[in-house]
Amino acid sequence: MSRRDVRLDAVPALPRLYAEALANQVRTKLTGSSGALVLPEVEHSVDGVRADVPRLEAYQQLVGDTVRPTLPSVFVHGTVFPVAMSVLAARDFPLPLLGMVHLSNQVEHLRPIGVDEALDVRAWADKLRDHHAGTAVDVVCEASVGGEVVWVGTSTYLAKGIWAGQRPERRRDRPEFVAPVQTGAWRLGAGAGREYAAVLGDYNPIHLGALPAKALGMKRQIAHGMFLAGKALAQTAPREGGYHWDIVFEAPVLLPATVSFGVATTDRLRSFEGWNATSGRRHFHGAVRPL
Amino acid sequence: MAAQASPAQASTSGTTGLRPAVVIGGNRIPFARSNGKYSTASNQEMLTAALDGLVARFGLQGQRMGAVAAGAVLKHSKDFNLVRESVLGTALSPTTPAYDVQMACATGMEAIGSLANKIRLGQIESGIGGGVDTTSDAPIAVSEGLRAVLLELSRARTLQQRLGALSKFRPKDLTPNAPGTGEPRTGMSMGDHQAVTTAAWGITRQAQDELALASHRNLAAAYDRHFFDDLITPFRGVSKDTNLRADSTLEKLGTLKPAFGRNLGEKATMTAGNSTPLTDGASAVLLGSEDYAREHDLPMLANFVDFEAGAVDFVNGEEGLLMAPAYAVPRLLARNGLTLQDFDFYEIHEAFAGTVLSTLAAWEDPDFCRDKLGLENALGSIDRGRLNVNGSSLAAGHPFAATGGRIVATLAKMLHEKGSGRGLVSVCAAGGQGVVAILEAR
Repeated sequence: MSRRDVRLDAVPALPRLYAEALANQVRTKLTGSSGALVLPEVEHSVDGVRADVPRLEAYQQLVGDTVRPTLPSVFVHGTVFPVAMSVLAARDFPLPLLGMVHLSNQVEHLRPIGVDEALDVRAWADKLRDHHAGTAVDVVCEASVGGEVVWVGTSTYLAKGIWAGQRPERRRDRPEFVAPVQTGAWRLGAGAGREYAAVLGDYNPIHLGALPAKALGMKRQIAHGMFLAGKALAQTAPREGGYHWDIVFEAPVLLPATVSFGVATTDRLRSFEGWNATSGRRHFHGAVRPL
Repeated sequence: MAAQASPAQASTSGTTGLRPAVVIGGNRIPFARSNGKYSTASNQEMLTAALDGLVARFGLQGQRMGAVAAGAVLKHSKDFNLVRESVLGTALSPTTPAYDVQMACATGMEAIGSLANKIRLGQIESGIGGGVDTTSDAPIAVSEGLRAVLLELSRARTLQQRLGALSKFRPKDLTPNAPGTGEPRTGMSMGDHQAVTTAAWGITRQAQDELALASHRNLAAAYDRHFFDDLITPFRGVSKDTNLRADSTLEKLGTLKPAFGRNLGEKATMTAGNSTPLTDGASAVLLGSEDYAREHDLPMLANFVDFEAGAVDFVNGEEGLLMAPAYAVPRLLARNGLTLQDFDFYEIHEAFAGTVLSTLAAWEDPDFCRDKLGLENALGSIDRGRLNVNGSSLAAGHPFAATGGRIVATLAKMLHEKGSGRGLVSVCAAGGQGVVAILEAR
């Protein structure tokens, strides 16, 4: 690998990154200099990242996870992901960060991570590719403790309506969603996005309120995908040991909402789905497998 | 004996070699629908009334009992010593120890069962077990936000700290928190959970309505033949359970719209008629050793033989919320060398008609009994003419912690009237738990 290392002093603040991204997008619009769709050969890194205990407890209480001094996988994501956002918000990143759609996550949570462990984080973008609705890209984050990789997360994003080459054919429609056995119901208030943002700092405007969401083309504010993932994992993640998990996002959860939730276990694989019982549309599906 | 532990395999410790614990009698106040006749009665007032009636009936005035164990599911924080405070208000000796038990709807069964164990071990000679609940006089808590502000304020030492705490107050924090019947980990109500189980077992609306109707008719008939005369003490002008609808019909029950599992569409079968209503009430059961009963010239209705608790993983969809008794009963049967058919009476708590019918269907299902219980054969069916023969919770109502005491006292009297045989008790509870028990006639 020949990625240039961009070393950051600390985990950057998301609001500043969003502001920079916005400025870059406006500049690109004004100058029309979007350039070629090529990923920069860089990785951004920060060493010695530590979790904040009050923030950890606030997160665990918010998503209904057990309050204990080890880091839930989505909390790790929330802690280290601003390093990845720094890659996406930089001027050399070819896609517009604001308005990108979060498609999925795949995470290797290799072992329990204590709240007092210092994480060395690096992040890069990978696998820029055509998608029928735009251009997709993987954003990879890796956290290590003293040289041992403990957590690797791949988030896939979509920049709608932008293609590097030929626009691919739309896949055949996915089979009609049939609701599984319901095991839970999540009542999410209009302020669920603001509550999650207050804990993990992700103040993306599409999650905050109806007006900012509408300004970015949403009908109303939507729940953070990682908030939904965090609630799902609070129930389904193993209580000890490492695990792999993934989640695929489909219809966004417009707030306020009641999300129907279902878990099913076969052998060691625990799969889950969230859906809207009224519209019959699926919001997300995923699975957890102990390592 | 297979060496591999199966879910239905009982501990091998056995229950022989201990002296019997005897059910001497019981007393409850009539159960009243929530926000009705007892809407201003507190848990302590109702439990005291149930204890007073028991004391009067069995001449316990001034006695130091071995222990009084009871509880409430919905409890004010000021009621940290609810049972002891209730005892201090009765004619029992103030030297009677008392403690609170809390195991959701199985509170009463756990309280009575563990008292019976103490009697069997010879630790105590007598005990009173029971429970109480009110959903009318329910505790209402301040919001988490306001609570955090108030606690921080109480820790503040300086004006600046006080102002800092107050600055965190938000007007929406004034909305109080009332208790609900939702499961904390799933966010689903108990009824919605049971609706999923009811649909999974293919229990029909007709079957549920028939069970509800039988409950009302059986309870009404029991009142008519004065069965409850020595089991109930009137309270606040009420002498009969106010939920009882003696004139209910299948037609009337059939007109009700589904109240739970509405997401299931056409498969939604659970209505207000075949589900228990929120109810207020209290119950108490007097237990003792044989020596105690003889010494005080008290009746011995039945032996409290054994009991077993169970729990299931409903959070991850492994099992329905209220199905724990389906797992606990085979363990209890195995430990006592009995089959499901060895009983003259079955008291299966009617949280919902669907709960009773799903449990029975599970025991009849060879796949469930093999795959989930680890048994070679199905437990089989029961004689439905022996099920809840004097009515159960659908008719009487279900003040959560008071239901165990209602069932044990009723069953003990039924067994004593018959003069022989056994009864099986099954009570499901929130949190995916349940307690089951065996009583034997004397």
